[in-house]
Order: sequence, then C-alpha cells, then structure tokens
Amino acid sequence: MWQAPWGYREGVAVVGSTVAIGFALQLTVGEFDFTLLRWPANLVIGVLLILLLAISAIRQGRIARWISSVRFAVPTIGALVAFGILMGLTPQVFLGAKQQGGVVSMLGLDNATSSYTFMLIYLLLLLSLGMVTAKRLLHFRWHDYGFYLNHAGLWLLLFAAGLGAADRGHFFMSVQEGATEWRAYDKHNELVELPIAVELNDFDMEVYPPKLAVIDRQTGEVFPKGRPEFFQIDEKIPKGTIGPWEVQLLEYIHDAVRNSDSTYHEVHMPGASPAARVRVADTRNNKTQEGWVCGGNMAQLYMLLNLDEQYALVSTRPEPKRFVSNINVYTQNGRTAHTLLEVNKPLKIGSWMLYQYDYDKEAGRMSSYSTFELVYDPWLGAVYAGLGLLFLGSVCMLWMGNRRKEVRNDVE
Amino acid sequence: MMWSDFSWFAVPAITLWGVAGTLVYTHMSRRVIDALMLMGIAVLATFIVGLWVGLERPPLRTMGETRLWYSFFLAGVGFITYKHWHYDWLLSFSSVVAIVFVIINLAKPEIHSKALMPALQSVWFVPHVIVYILSYAMLGAATIAVGLQIVKLRRKMPDAKLYHLMDNLVYVGYGFLMLGMLMGAVWAKEAWGHYWSWDPKETWALVTAGAYLLYIHMRLRKSSPQSTVWILPAAFVLLMITWIGVNYLPSAAASVHTYTF
Repeated sequence: MWQAPWGYREGVAVVGSTVAIGFALQLTVGEFDFTLLRWPANLVIGVLLILLLAISAIRQGRIARWISSVRFAVPTIGALVAFGILMGLTPQVFLGAKQQGGVVSMLGLDNATSSYTFMLIYLLLLLSLGMVTAKRLLHFRWHDYGFYLNHAGLWLLLFAAGLGAADRGHFFMSVQEGATEWRAYDKHNELVELPIAVELNDFDMEVYPPKLAVIDRQTGEVFPKGRPEFFQIDEKIPKGTIGPWEVQLLEYIHDAVRNSDSTYHEVHMPGASPAARVRVADTRNNKTQEGWVCGGNMAQLYMLLNLDEQYALVSTRPEPKRFVSNINVYTQNGRTAHTLLEVNKPLKIGSWMLYQYDYDKEAGRMSSYSTFELVYDPWLGAVYAGLGLLFLGSVCMLWMGNRRKEVRNDVE
Repeated sequence: MMWSDFSWFAVPAITLWGVAGTLVYTHMSRRVIDALMLMGIAVLATFIVGLWVGLERPPLRTMGETRLWYSFFLAGVGFITYKHWHYDWLLSFSSVVAIVFVIINLAKPEIHSKALMPALQSVWFVPHVIVYILSYAMLGAATIAVGLQIVKLRRKMPDAKLYHLMDNLVYVGYGFLMLGMLMGAVWAKEAWGHYWSWDPKETWALVTAGAYLLYIHMRLRKSSPQSTVWILPAAFVLLMITWIGVNYLPSAAASVHTYTF
C-alpha cells in the first residue's frame, strides 16, 4: 500500500478516513452550519475549487492523476451509496420525522443533509468529478462529447444545487382576496418581510362531479359497512348500482342553487354546488323513488334522498380538479407580473418562483384566501444548465451504449 | 369516439402486438414484424386521437386514459429501441407490457372513477413513468445476463460477448434511469417547489443510480472482475427497494411518492 501508482486500496483508505473524520466532527462539533456557505462564500469556494482543479490538472501531479482516476472515483461513489442507504433507512428530521436519539442522532444520520459526513462525501465527489473533467478538457477530443456532457453536467448540477442551497429561501404566504401581502413565514415559522409582494385579485376552483353513496341514517356510515360503494356521477354513464339499489341519473347541474321548493337550478356563482336528480329503484321490492341530492357547502345545506327507514342516498363533497389564484406580483426592484397561478403552473419572476399551495379547504370555492409557496433560488439557472447537459449525456448513453470503447477507457 | 368503442381497437392492437412479439423469435421476415408492430401502434393511436376529439380535451385525466398512453409509448419506444439495438426480447417484452395495460383498460376501465389530483396533472407524469419502466426492463435483463456471467466466471471462462451485452444493457438502462430522474426533478420543481428534496424515494433512486455508476466505472478497469459482477445483482435489489420497497420503510411515512404504484 501507498506505493505508486495508488489503487483501490489507497482510495478506500482515503475515502474511509474522510468519512471517519466526518463522523468525528459530527460527534464533537455538531451539525454543519450551511449558512456559512451563503453568498458570496459559495462563489469564492467555487472559484477557488475551479482554480485548484485547473492548476492540478495542468501540473499533472501524481496525486492529481490518482484523484482523476477510477481508483478514486469508485471508493467515492461507494461512500455515497453506503451513506445513501443509511439515510434512506432512517426517518429524516428535516422531512418532519422525530429525532431518533442514540448513536443515529449523534452521527447525524437522522438529519443527514446537515451532517459533516454528507458534506465531506459531497466534496470528494466534486473533487473526483472536477479533476477528471479538467484533465479530459486539457486533452480535448470532440468524440468524447458523451463524457463531457455527463461529467461536466453532473459537476455543475452538484455544485449549484449543493453550495447554492445556502442561498435558497423557502416561504409560505397567505393572502386575503383583495389584499396585498409581502410578509411570509420562513421554515422556522417566523414572520419575515420579503422583497416581493403578492396581490390576490380572485381565488377560484373547479371540482370534479361528486360521487353518490348510500349512508345509514342513524350512524352516518357509508354502505356497505367497511367496503363502501360509490356511484360516480358521469352524464355519459347515467346508470349504476349501489348494493340492491339501481341508480339512474336524470339530471346533473354542476353549479346548482336550491329553489324554495327544494329543486335546483343552474347559477354560476361561488356558492353554487353540484346537484343531481336521480331515480333509485330498490330491486328487492321494486319500489322507485325520485329526487334531488346535493353535497352542500358553506352557503347551502346538503340534500339527501331517503331510501327507506334505515338508508339514504347522499352526494359526497366534490374533489378539487383545479384551483386558481388570479394574482399581481411586485418585486422591490420594480418588476411586476400578472398571472393565473395554479398547481403545476408556477410563476417565475427574477430568482423567485411562486406556487399555488393551499386554500381554505372547508370553504372550497368560497375560500377568502389563498396560500402561496415562495422559493428564492438564484442558482436555479446553473442547476438547469447542469440538468440539461446531463439530459443530453443520458441520451448519448442510451443511444450509443458502450459501443465506443475508446471513450470508456480511463486515461491513466 | 368514446370508451364504449375501445374494444374495436383494443382487440386488433393486442392481436397485432402479440403476433409480432411471438414471430420475432422465428425466421419470419423482419419487415412483417415491423409492419405488425407499427399497425398495432397506429390502431391505438387512432383510438387516442378519436377519444381526444370525442372528449374535447386531451385524454390525460383518468388512470384509464393515462394507461392508453403507457401502452402507446411502451410499444413505440420499445419498437424504436428494438430497431436500434436488435434485442428480440425487447420487442416481445414491450409488447407484453403494452398488451397488459390494454387488457387492464378493457377489464377495469376506471374511466370515470379516479379524479387525478392536481399535482399529478402534469405533462411530465407519463414520460417520467415510462422511461422508468423501460429502464427497469433493461436493468432487469442485465441482471439475468450477469447471473450467467457469474456462473461462467466461477468456471474461469468469462464470456466476452456476454460482458458486452451486460455493459450495453446497463448503459442503456442507466441512460433511461437518468432521464426518468431528470424529468422527475423538473416536474418536482414545477409541482412541489424544489427539484430535489431528499424524499425517501429520491434518496433510494440516487443510491440505485450510484450502484450502477459503480459497476460502470469498475468495468473500466478490468481488475477484480469477481466483485464487479456482483454489483449488478446488488444494484437490482436496490432498484427494487426504490420501486416497491420504499413504501414499506419507516422512513417513507411522509413521501410524496407513496400514492404511485
């Protein structure tokens, strides 16, 4: 061991010691303080790291060559896999789990992303990937494009996502209809003022047609007990059965308001609720009934159809299909935006992303407020550039396989 | 065109794919097999377009509609990959899985029961899942191949051609695996605010990818072939944990992925 050229054994020794140092630091110093890496510290580290990689690659020292080789990469990836398995088996505090206590907590395994070990393995990866990329870039060959896309892409992604995490901000903001708000709760649940303001013009939601169910009039339990059956309202499939009852949909009004004679008519307003006129036949005695059912909401009562002394037909509360906030956004440096914000359709403005997050679930469509998730991430552009390179690299891999041996050969 | 017309398209598609997936193992002309496969894909595509027109919206909402796309893309991407790599089993495998999804749709359409929760209504949903299915197929096949190689290594007669096949399958499977992960990251950024949140499924996906990376890099150096080949079965176990096992781990209580199959 320790005789040139270094191989796997030395790699395992170096990576293993680094991991041990990580655990030792965790035991003595505690968690790694990510805020230390906040801008501009992360940029400085990045520039220094790139300089170090470039100089070492040019000087071609023995250790630099070893770090850029598979003999160092394999133990490093191995450490990542091993640490990832421990992390994947342990409920994580930052995801909302309780502290595990004992050795697990002392070694930081239940809050893995803040642990020294995690941080050091991450640095080893940046070093290994960076060194091999730098070396190959010095001997640039066009037909190595798959290699460059995968390695440089991953390096960029890891660097921007990891060191950039110190600058990331994550907030929740609730805004009343008609109001403008710039205060939000951060991850420690403290109210902070943001350099961005949101005005909520209107909140609206669309729902799927509800389902019909039979309940016990005394207990409210859904029939049959334990294995409830539902009849999904769908005007294209108007017939169905629940237990011994044959249900036929006669009329369906998605936005319905109750008349004084307990029938319904269509009105497009926030207080409206889906209502259905149905005919129900009891196959046991051929008794047929007709009537309206409605799930109701904050503005109007529910309506049920009694089937016999024990059971009644009811409508479930409809499930949300889409919820939308009509908002104006203003940033401190004078940018404005107007948008309809909904799930899966965030708004990007500068380094901010805004997401539709929540609303008053009791009130549903009549919710008087909407909650947004605001994420600040100035490194997102670099992360996406890394993702893009890696995407192309992956396409190269699945298209070329290992056909081009010369690309694969580790330059030793 | 509506769901009630589905069997008129489903039965021909099943037949065409079934015949193509079987004949690929005979001496039948490749052109006939290609034509059968493409006709099956065209039949299903016709139904999807018809349904799109009939529903007056893209059929991407219910589970049944999503399964239509699974079948379509599995058959399509499977066919393209087969044409490129000439693995016969790949054609029959993608045919079988595409057929299974069509049969599920015939037997249990769920065309009106399951409302898709807003976070799943994303263009990334279908490609994210499909590339993973393809990746798992490739890596599964690589695991079978490595089983043979382990036996041959024990007899001190490693098979160079088999190595080539294994490596190729791992490269292609890893490419699909990365695509699935990257698409998942972009989708997560749109839906949940962050591209990577160390959700247990994400952590296990990273571990799985790392294990395959270990194999890929260890194969670059021809030393220690014994430990290298054993990485593939181990990696496949990790893959299975990622796919199915995560839901049963105590760490997954709060995972956003537990509603997926």
